[in-house]
Amino acid sequence: MRGSMSLVLVRTALRNLVAHKAKTSIVGSIIFFGSFLVVFGTALLDSIDRGMSGSITESLAGHLQIYAKDARDKLQLFGGGFMGGDDFGAIRDFKPVREILEALPEVKAVVPLGLQMVTVMGGNEIDQTLEELRQAVKSGDDDKIHSLAVKLRAMADDLLPDLERRRHIARDKAEIENQLRDLARVRSDAFWAELAKDPERGLTFLEAHVAPLVLDGRFLYFRNVATDLTRFPRLFDRFELVDGQMVPPGEPGILLAKRTYETWVKNPVARDLDKIYQGLTTQNLSIATATELADAARRLPRQYRRISFQLAVEDARTVERELRRLLPESTGDLGALLQDFLRVDDDNAVGRYRFFYDVIAPRLPLYTVPVGSDVILRAVTKTGYFKAAKVKVWGTFRFKGLEDSDLAGASNLIDLLTFRELYGIMTDDKQRELQGIRDAVGVKDVAREDAEAALFGGDARPSSADATPGTLGAIDAVAEIAAAKAPAPAVTFTPEEVDNGLTISAAVILKDPSRLHQGLAAVQRAIDAANLNLQVVDWQTAAGIPGQLVTVMRLVLYLAIFIIFLVALVIINNAMLMAMVERIGEIGTMRAIGAQRSLVMWMFIVEILTLGAIAGTAGALAALAVVSWLGHVGIPAPNDQLQFLFSGPRLYPAAGLENLLLGCASVCLVSLGSTLYPARMATRVQPVVAMQAKE
Amino acid sequence: MPAIVSLSNVAKDYPLGKTVVRALRGVSLAIEKGEFVAIAGPSGSGKTTLLNLIGCVDVPSSGEVTIDGRSTSALHDRELTNLRLHSLGFIFQTFNLVAVLNLYQNVEFPLLLKGHHTAAERKKKVEAMIDKVGLTPQIGQRPNELSGGQRQRVAIARALVTEPKIVLADEPTANLDSVTGQNIIDLMKALNDTLTTTFIFSTHDQRVISHARRVIRLVDGVVEDGAAQARGAGG
Repeated sequence: MRGSMSLVLVRTALRNLVAHKAKTSIVGSIIFFGSFLVVFGTALLDSIDRGMSGSITESLAGHLQIYAKDARDKLQLFGGGFMGGDDFGAIRDFKPVREILEALPEVKAVVPLGLQMVTVMGGNEIDQTLEELRQAVKSGDDDKIHSLAVKLRAMADDLLPDLERRRHIARDKAEIENQLRDLARVRSDAFWAELAKDPERGLTFLEAHVAPLVLDGRFLYFRNVATDLTRFPRLFDRFELVDGQMVPPGEPGILLAKRTYETWVKNPVARDLDKIYQGLTTQNLSIATATELADAARRLPRQYRRISFQLAVEDARTVERELRRLLPESTGDLGALLQDFLRVDDDNAVGRYRFFYDVIAPRLPLYTVPVGSDVILRAVTKTGYFKAAKVKVWGTFRFKGLEDSDLAGASNLIDLLTFRELYGIMTDDKQRELQGIRDAVGVKDVAREDAEAALFGGDARPSSADATPGTLGAIDAVAEIAAAKAPAPAVTFTPEEVDNGLTISAAVILKDPSRLHQGLAAVQRAIDAANLNLQVVDWQTAAGIPGQLVTVMRLVLYLAIFIIFLVALVIINNAMLMAMVERIGEIGTMRAIGAQRSLVMWMFIVEILTLGAIAGTAGALAALAVVSWLGHVGIPAPNDQLQFLFSGPRLYPAAGLENLLLGCASVCLVSLGSTLYPARMATRVQPVVAMQAKE
Repeated sequence: MPAIVSLSNVAKDYPLGKTVVRALRGVSLAIEKGEFVAIAGPSGSGKTTLLNLIGCVDVPSSGEVTIDGRSTSALHDRELTNLRLHSLGFIFQTFNLVAVLNLYQNVEFPLLLKGHHTAAERKKKVEAMIDKVGLTPQIGQRPNELSGGQRQRVAIARALVTEPKIVLADEPTANLDSVTGQNIIDLMKALNDTLTTTFIFSTHDQRVISHARRVIRLVDGVVEDGAAQARGAGG
C-alpha cells in the first residue's frame, strides 16, 4: 500500500475513533487494562523470579545441582520430606566429580551439600538442673546441692497443681497417682536426706521419674546442610556470620541458622516477647487486632515455668523482689508473679519487654544450645539405626536479605565429616574406636542365616568376615552411647578428607549465570562422558516447591491474561462488528467509487491497530509508572514465604523493555484477532448498498 | 461515434421470498460518449437497477452490459472495481460523503485509490475541481458543516476528479430544494460541456428531465417505445 494511502487510512482511523467515542472508550479501556495487566504482571513476576533466583542460588543451591541418577525422590533443597524421609541417593566419591566439573570452562566451583535431618537433645529445665545437681554431687559442693534441692522442690511444688487437675480428667488414673506419689517423695525431707547418703540412687530416681513430667523442650529438630565450611562462605555471596566465629578449617562443628536459633533454640518466653515487641514497634501492629501477636500474648502466662525453672535460687529471689516492685498489687509466689507479669497487652507490652531483658534475661540461659557449647546430634543412618555425634556450635549465620525467612533460615551448616558419620559412614579412626568397644562388650557380627544358631546354640561360629551391611546397625547403637558420653571430638581433618567421600548433592556455581542452559548441558555432557551416574538440574528444579512457585504464579497470571483477553476478544469483536454495521453505507460508497476489498480490510485493521497502539502504549506506560513507583517504595513481604520469594523484606520490582514489548505486542495481537471477523464481513459489503444508503 | 455504454437484452430479477421480482425485462440501449442522458420513469420502474448495472455495482441476471468496450459479465470483483475506479464516477441521491473526512479529503479519496498521482498533482487536481464546483471557501469543512447543495457539489467534484468517462447520478436532486437542484443540474451540464464526460442520471422530476439532452423512459422494467427517446429541449 502506498504511503499516501496509508496516511489516509491512519487519518480515517483516528477520525473514526474520535467519531465513535462510546465504542472507542470501551475497546480502548479493555486494551488499556490488558496491556497494563501484561506489563505489570510480567514485570512483577520477572522481579520475583530474579529475587527468588538470588534467594536460592546465592544461599544454598548454586546455579545447578547434581545428585545421584538413581535417587528415589527428586531433589528438594527447600522443604521436602520430614526427618530424612526423602531419598536423594548419594554421590559416593565427591573428589572426581569436583575435578571433572571444575575443569569445565563454564564452571566456577562445585560445592558438596549433604542434606540431613537431625534431632537435638535440648534437655528441659529439670534435665539441666539435674545435670547441675550431678556435677555438684560429683564435686561435693554442699551449698550448691542445697540450693539445687530447694529449686527442685519448688519445681515439684509447681508441677503438683497441674497433675492434680490431670488426675480428674485422665482415663489412666493409676499412672497419675504414681506420678503424684513420685512428686510427694521429691517434696519430702526424707528424699533429700536419702540423696545425701546415696546420691546415684536419688539422681536416677529424679531422672527417671521427675524429669519426664516436663516434656517441653526435650527435643529440637534441625535440618542440616553439610558442606565444605571453608569454601561455602566464599562462594555463596549471601552468607553472613552473625554470632560467634567461623568453624576453623579442618575442625568439625556446626553453624546454626540465626532464624532457627531465634525461633527454636531461644527461650520461648523471650521469643514471644520479641515477636510482640517487633510487631508493636516496627510493624505498627497491635495485640488487639493482629492474630499472631494475640496468640503470642495468650501463650505467655502459661510459659512462666520457662523462667521460674531456669532461675537459680538467688536469682529467683532477686527476680521475685523486682517483680513485686513492678507489680505491687500482685500477690502469691514467684510463679503467680510471673504469670501476672506475662499477661501483656498493647499498653504494657513494651515496658514488660524491657523489664524482661533488663532484669530477667541476664539471669537465664536464653538459648538451649548457646554458641560455644557442644551439642549432641542424632540422626537415622541409612541402615535405619540412630547415630549420635557431638559437635561444637561455633556460631550463627544468616543469608543477607533473607533474615526473616523461615525457608532460608531453616538449614544449619555442618562439616561434612560429622555428616558422614551421622549418615553411617565410618572413618578409620571410628572403625578402630568401635572395634575397641566391640571387643570390650563382646559384640560379634552375626549373619542373618546364622543368627538362630548364634543365639540359641549350634555349630555356627560367625566372624567379622561374615558381616552383612545390616549388622552395622547394632554397632551404630553402641556408638550412640559412646558419642553421648564423650566430649566433642577434638579431631581435625584435611581438605582432601572433605573432598574424598560421600555427599548427597553438589552445587555447581557457573561463571556466567545468564548462560544457565548452556552450563547445564555442558555439565550433563561431562558427567555422562565420565559415567558418573549422576543427574543435573537447574536451581529452580532443585529448590523444590519454592522454586516452582514462580512457574505456578506465571501460569496463573497467563491464565488470567488468557481469560481477560478471551473476554476482550469477544467484546472488541462485537464492538467492531457493530461499527462495521453502522458504516455499511460508507463502506459501500468506498467500494462503489473504486476501493478494493483489501482496502476495506486494511481500514478496519489500521483502525484497531491505531487504537491498540494508543491504548496499549498508555496501559503499558501506566504499568511502567506503577512498577517504577513500587520499585521506589518497595512492596512489603507480609510473611516469611514472600520474603523468600522477594529475596528480602521488600520487593523492588522493575520493568524491562521486554515487558513493555510483550504488553504492546499481546494487546495488538488480541485486537487484531478480534477485528479479523468484522473486517472480513466488511469486505463482503457490496458496492450496490451505496445506492440504497440513506443519510 | 461508438457507444460508451451498451445494454443488450438485459434482464434483472430479484428473489423476494418465494416470488421473483423482475426489475428489468430485456432492456437494450446504447449511450454515446459525451451524452447528457436522463433515465426517467415512475418509482419502481427500474431506473436505479439500470443505473446499478451500468455502474458495475450489480450484475445482470441475463443479457450483456458493455462499458467502455468491456463486457461486465466476464469480469471479477477486482476488475469490476478497477473499472469503476478508472471509468466511472458516482453521484448519489444521499451524497454518500465519508463523514470523518473533510471536503478536500473526500474529493482527494478516489485519486488516492488510483494512486497514479504525486501529492502535488493531487493537490492541483483536487483544488481545481473544488474551484469548479465553487466550494473553495469551504475546502477544510466536514460534510456535516455543509448544506445539502454543497454536499452534492462535493459529490460531483469527487465523481469528476478522476476524469471518468461516465458519471452516473442517481436522483441527484431528490434531496435538494428546487433552486439548489436547478443549480446542480446546471453545474452538471456545464461540466458535461467542458469535460465531454458522459452524464447518465436517473430522475422522475420533470423539471430535471427537461434539461436532459436525451431521455430514456422506463416503465415496468422496459424501455418505453423499445428505444431511447431523443428530446431536443436541452440541446
